[in-house]
Amino acid sequence: MTFGRACLAFTLTVLGPGLTGAQTLSTEFDVTGGYSTEGSTAASAAQLRVFGDLSKNYRLNAEATWADRTADVSDAFGAAYPYGGRVQLSEAYVERIFRPSNWLVGVRAGQYRTPFGIYTRSDYAYQGFLRAPLLRYDGYWSITNNFLERGVDVVAGTSRYQVEGSVATPGDIGEARRRGGVSATVRGQAYVKSLVVGVSRISSETYAPARFATGRLHFTGIDARVSHGGVIVRGEWIGGRYWDRPRTNGWYVDGIFHRRFMGPVTAVARAERLRYTTTRPFTYHDQSYSNWIGNRQTVGARVRLPGGFTAQAGVLRQSKVLAHDSRFSLDLAVTYSVRRD
Amino acid sequence: MFLRTLSLLLAGLVLATPSGITAQGTAALTGTVSAAGQAVGNAVVWIEGASAAATRRPRAVLHQRSLKFAPQVLAVRTGTTVDFPNDDRVFHNVFSFRDGKKFDLGIYPVGATRQVTFSEPGVSRLFCNIHPNMAGYVVAVDSPWYATSDADGRFAIPDIDAGSYTWKAWRASGTIIGGSVTVRPGAVLEVAWP
Repeated sequence: MTFGRACLAFTLTVLGPGLTGAQTLSTEFDVTGGYSTEGSTAASAAQLRVFGDLSKNYRLNAEATWADRTADVSDAFGAAYPYGGRVQLSEAYVERIFRPSNWLVGVRAGQYRTPFGIYTRSDYAYQGFLRAPLLRYDGYWSITNNFLERGVDVVAGTSRYQVEGSVATPGDIGEARRRGGVSATVRGQAYVKSLVVGVSRISSETYAPARFATGRLHFTGIDARVSHGGVIVRGEWIGGRYWDRPRTNGWYVDGIFHRRFMGPVTAVARAERLRYTTTRPFTYHDQSYSNWIGNRQTVGARVRLPGGFTAQAGVLRQSKVLAHDSRFSLDLAVTYSVRRD
Repeated sequence: MFLRTLSLLLAGLVLATPSGITAQGTAALTGTVSAAGQAVGNAVVWIEGASAAATRRPRAVLHQRSLKFAPQVLAVRTGTTVDFPNDDRVFHNVFSFRDGKKFDLGIYPVGATRQVTFSEPGVSRLFCNIHPNMAGYVVAVDSPWYATSDADGRFAIPDIDAGSYTWKAWRASGTIIGGSVTVRPGAVLEVAWP
């Protein structure tokens, strides 16, 4: 039995009978259908989440997901979930938050997303963008949104300054799955007025076989978010290596606009760049040196419709290596979401 | 001797006060809220009394916890400052653009708190731009006498000056209704939407 199935079985067996009686647990179900002109890709996805207070002190978060698409020629719809065509347990953890005086300590145990940079599901899943940043897409040699950790995560500090650390073993659910071993992540965060700045560092196993890839995965990231008057600007820079020799670095900047006059519409814009370099034997076509650069700009919108529906649209312009696939593309999606408290 | 006499006088005054009404002439108003015969929780019932003296602290808290607003409906007197602490380890972006007080709190991390003062009466609908399923309400009333119904539709408004008043009630997805009520010991109000 896999760890994911074991967690799901635990959740259903232990918590299932009590769900109806546990008034503070909530369930959320989302289903999304979409189409991208890039590769004429159609996609559908569904997520089921159970979260809330198990008791006065303990909270639960569990999420199962299913997603599939007609083609894997692009990263269309790869926002926060893998497209493997099967049900997978993405997150399943219990957490407790202590508030001694003006301090804050949070402990999380179970399976959770890698606490590196801007990393939560809330930040990427159908929140205006239909694709993850290139830096966070499964298979682009960086920190993907499908990285999961199985272990313990602790955050400590004040509301202004926090340090978060995780010691775990990889439990990835995407195409790039790291080998078993110790995965350590640390992140520091400062919050001043409307600005949140973070620095992250991860040391983990790589996804390639040991006979092929030597050395560990190391990445460093800087992230920032600022909000004012209905406008959020956020971004990340990430740099490091997947294993010895290959290097990855890149950045993205998002603008999320929800001004008072916009009603149910949230407009989004993103500019990003990803660079991957390597020497033999990891180069293309026996080149002595490979330099892969992709640029992308995205504009889009999310519209909240009546009855739990949300429509999203995104237009992408791609250049450098990505232009070989498609210079322009249009992504469309509709999500239906229902929640029971 | 003087103190003993004073104590006896005070004890007699208390004992002479009718049950349910205090020495200051106040009483509690209890009742139930229903719509189409079903109990309604999270409805706000208030007694119009703008001229009444402020008897409650003008401070309240509305948590963001487990991707919910807690409480989902918060009733306050106008002039109240509401704290919005983020108790979740994800960011929230609370805003109110549609009715009542219009504001956008931006994003802030776990442990941080922002404040909004509700200086005018009205219903403010709260959303989170990061979590579309989060929704809540702040109902600001120009009165110190208000209550929110529980899951069984029951409510209790304590310490109302005895007398005749106009009452009003609000619930999500319903219109504001009202009527008249005489507040005296044992007074009961049945609030019902058709």
